[in-house]
Amino acid sequence: MRTGIFFCQVDENTLINTDAVAKYAANLQGVELVRILGLRPRLDAENLSTLIQSKALDRIIIAGDMPGYYKPVFTKAMAQAGGDPAEVRLASFREHGAQGEQALDRAKATVACASMAVPFSLVATPRRNPVHHATLVIGGGIAGIQASLEIANAGKHVYLVEQTGTIGGHMAMFDKTFPTLDCAACILTPKMVSVGQHDMIHLLTNSKVTEVSGKPGAYRVKIRQRARRVDVNACVACNLCSEVCPVKVESAFDSGISLRKAIYIPFPQAVPNAYLIDEESCTYVLSEGQKCGVCVKKCPKECINLDEPDTDTDLEVGNIIIATGYELLDVGKIEQYGYGKYPNVLTSLEFERLTNASGTTGGRIVTKTKQFNKKTQKDEWIFSKDGVPPRSVAIIHCVGSRNKKYNAYCSRVCCMYSLKFAHLIREKIPNVKCYEFYIDMRAFGKGYEEFAERIRHEGTFVVRGHTTKVEMKHEQMSVRGEDIMNDRIVEFPVDMVVLAVGLVPSAETENLSRILGISRDPDGWFSELDYNGNPTDTERGGIYVAGMCQGPKDIPDTVAQASAVAAGVLRSITSGRGIGHMDSVPLSEIEARAKILQTI
Amino acid sequence: MAIRINLGYIDELNKYGAEDVQLCYQCGDCSTVCVHSDDIFNFPRKSMRRLQMGLERKIETTLEPWLCYYCGQCSDQCPREADPGETMMSLRRWLIARYDFTGIASRFFRSSATEVIAILAVALITGLFLFIYGKAGGSISIYDGEGAFLPSSFIHFFDLAIGSVLAVFLLINAYRMWHLTMNKGVSVRISPWLYLKHIFTFPLHFFTQKRYAQCESKNRNFIFMPWITHLGLMLGYVTMLVLVMVFIEELQHGPEIIWQVHLFAYAASLGLIIGTIYFIRSRLRKTAYVQFKKSHSTDWVFVILLFLIVITGIGQHILHRTGYYEAANITYILHLMCVVPWLLRMPFSKWAHLLYRPLAMYFAAIQKDALKKQLRLSEDHMITVK
Repeated sequence: MRTGIFFCQVDENTLINTDAVAKYAANLQGVELVRILGLRPRLDAENLSTLIQSKALDRIIIAGDMPGYYKPVFTKAMAQAGGDPAEVRLASFREHGAQGEQALDRAKATVACASMAVPFSLVATPRRNPVHHATLVIGGGIAGIQASLEIANAGKHVYLVEQTGTIGGHMAMFDKTFPTLDCAACILTPKMVSVGQHDMIHLLTNSKVTEVSGKPGAYRVKIRQRARRVDVNACVACNLCSEVCPVKVESAFDSGISLRKAIYIPFPQAVPNAYLIDEESCTYVLSEGQKCGVCVKKCPKECINLDEPDTDTDLEVGNIIIATGYELLDVGKIEQYGYGKYPNVLTSLEFERLTNASGTTGGRIVTKTKQFNKKTQKDEWIFSKDGVPPRSVAIIHCVGSRNKKYNAYCSRVCCMYSLKFAHLIREKIPNVKCYEFYIDMRAFGKGYEEFAERIRHEGTFVVRGHTTKVEMKHEQMSVRGEDIMNDRIVEFPVDMVVLAVGLVPSAETENLSRILGISRDPDGWFSELDYNGNPTDTERGGIYVAGMCQGPKDIPDTVAQASAVAAGVLRSITSGRGIGHMDSVPLSEIEARAKILQTI
Repeated sequence: MAIRINLGYIDELNKYGAEDVQLCYQCGDCSTVCVHSDDIFNFPRKSMRRLQMGLERKIETTLEPWLCYYCGQCSDQCPREADPGETMMSLRRWLIARYDFTGIASRFFRSSATEVIAILAVALITGLFLFIYGKAGGSISIYDGEGAFLPSSFIHFFDLAIGSVLAVFLLINAYRMWHLTMNKGVSVRISPWLYLKHIFTFPLHFFTQKRYAQCESKNRNFIFMPWITHLGLMLGYVTMLVLVMVFIEELQHGPEIIWQVHLFAYAASLGLIIGTIYFIRSRLRKTAYVQFKKSHSTDWVFVILLFLIVITGIGQHILHRTGYYEAANITYILHLMCVVPWLLRMPFSKWAHLLYRPLAMYFAAIQKDALKKQLRLSEDHMITVK
């Protein structure tokens, strides 16, 4: 076949040296003509057809990024020249993954395949390599739990690595889910328990991934497990140790609105249901065994070993799932809302813990009360069970989200959970006034718009218009905002302000992306292979993303993605090949395979 | 009534300095952070919206741009970096052009080259005329008295002539402003009594600019520097204008110093020199406040020309008192070469806000009174949802 190759680009591609590819293409069998048409050429079918005729070409290859853009012109030219329009073939670089280190080879391979009229995807299938049947899941939130259960229920081993003392993640902190107002714990805790009891799931709490090596299908992972200092199997969570512990620190699980001891259980339904020692505050650990140690004496099961060392575990796994979730933006740097300055300005997670029935006030929504701290000799504001409920609450949307100074993106869940807050406040406190300040109401999911409508009809004042001013005037907080729909500047006296703070990737994301070699997008979330087509795979084969760590999403989407990831993992195990790591196939092999296919 | 929409309005405003209006997504943060924004005069968000929609007829009848002193807090915290503060500034420029019936102002604002050429031409004509006039009637080595190069009586007449030209333009423009904002722009009938009732608003805002002082609500500094220097500059300027228009003969008389007049002149010069240096420095450094970050070409012409006037004015005074009469005369001509284009440019430039802004405060007070009676705003701003 007399082949003509035309290189054209629709936009700049610095990854691929077109000249090198052209040089390679000129040596391919049957190639008569190689033309580099450059960036966005203006093509004329007449000229092309004379060119085709003069060279007597009977196969045309258009090579470049998105070459299909130029296909109509070449097809027309080919038909005019009397050739077979079906012999206008495409060699698309970027679509076939010509990125990264292998970009040039991949581009060459696509051209070679096109010149032999062999579909690239038929040739460039990754080599079979034995896939280890165990899977590592990093992060024990709802995404990690769901993915682990799906895989484990299919009969494959899962190692679930969790950084804190319990699985559950952020969802365990929530009171209700939107839009159904189901109890979050009622959905989550059965799943947590089945993770804890599952034969195929090995739970590694208090642990971090420190090193990953190997290749898709056979990763070697090093995990550092910090000493729990309490025997998980022996502990019966009787709380005697915690009662005697003299140290009090802010509870991370309660977003810092309550205090816990240095030996603690994050929450009563924790899995594993055992106490653990906080190394950073335990007097015994800090003094290196010199002081304290009362909990050891008190423990009836004798399961506390304060001198337990950290352990390193080596694992061999076939696939890795990242489900590391999110954090709240540091709202202290957004001054205008008075967070940290006024006691009753709360972040969304703080409010979530306040309204939770298992929270420090037993689910009563109250304002903070002033209490004298004997230790620091200072007044401090705390939540107590006999606090006064607020008479009016303002909920401010888009705090740090959709803002060029902080997060340019929309955090997706804030509108809905803010509406949920409004419902909970109105449900729990009679005659309370509740104001929502929003920019755009993003009620995008199934049943969400109806939920938003319902909250409006319940009597929450939903103000279209944001606010920047939370002020204290004569011991009374006030919020000034613009009510755009009614063309008013409004100022409401409020007792509590809840900030719907934007979401950012969790702190470990950066470190993990280095360890695993996964790229992140400019906002810091893990990059998926293809947003539409491959939302769970990453550019490294055998490593997947699930849940918030890939980008903000709500619980239904997170669960759906986690299940999708499980499907990908199981697919790779049953097919015996890692997915999406064609980099391992060298150019020469692709050529050889194409030659074989060509003869068939 | 049909609403006229100018689709090219937002692009037109681009030439006046507002570049990022299209970025605004109407969150209302700017309106809440602004201390001057209230139920009746609600800005800058609303102005941004009107701009986006091309409601040119609506904007030309509003007073809102004049109520803004450009402290820059809105631009500081704008989540979209749409720069509402600069938009209000650009609207003021556009309104100056809109009030001006000759069309010169809009030409100047849209093309800096036209403005500079016009200024240079007027300066050269003035210089030439004064030089020829001086040569014909006197000697360059005599500053005042018999045979003076530029006799003070002539300068007095000259000043008054230019001043009356200026006044005619300004009064016509001010009338147009009144017509647009108080006649076309208000739906309610305004009784003449209200005009009388609020008459004191005009001098109050003219001499104190107290709304500018309110701009500093965050208390970054104890005194809001832009306000105090702006006030000093303005008071100095007005004092100087009165001295030049009325007391020029005493002012120019020498070599002894007439303290009753000169004391005012020195104080005014101090205010002017400190003000111009502060504003030039701030605009060059672009650091202190948002309002100095973007400088339109007319802003530069404004401060630089004023600075030159002050420098040459002080220069000729010193040279005269120290006996260098020739140099004093030449500096005086240079001074007038700056002053004449400056004065003639007044109604067509940023300078006009000296009149428009207090006038707008006055009108706004009247409008507010009239509208409040009509709306009967409830005390608590309760919003009914259903």
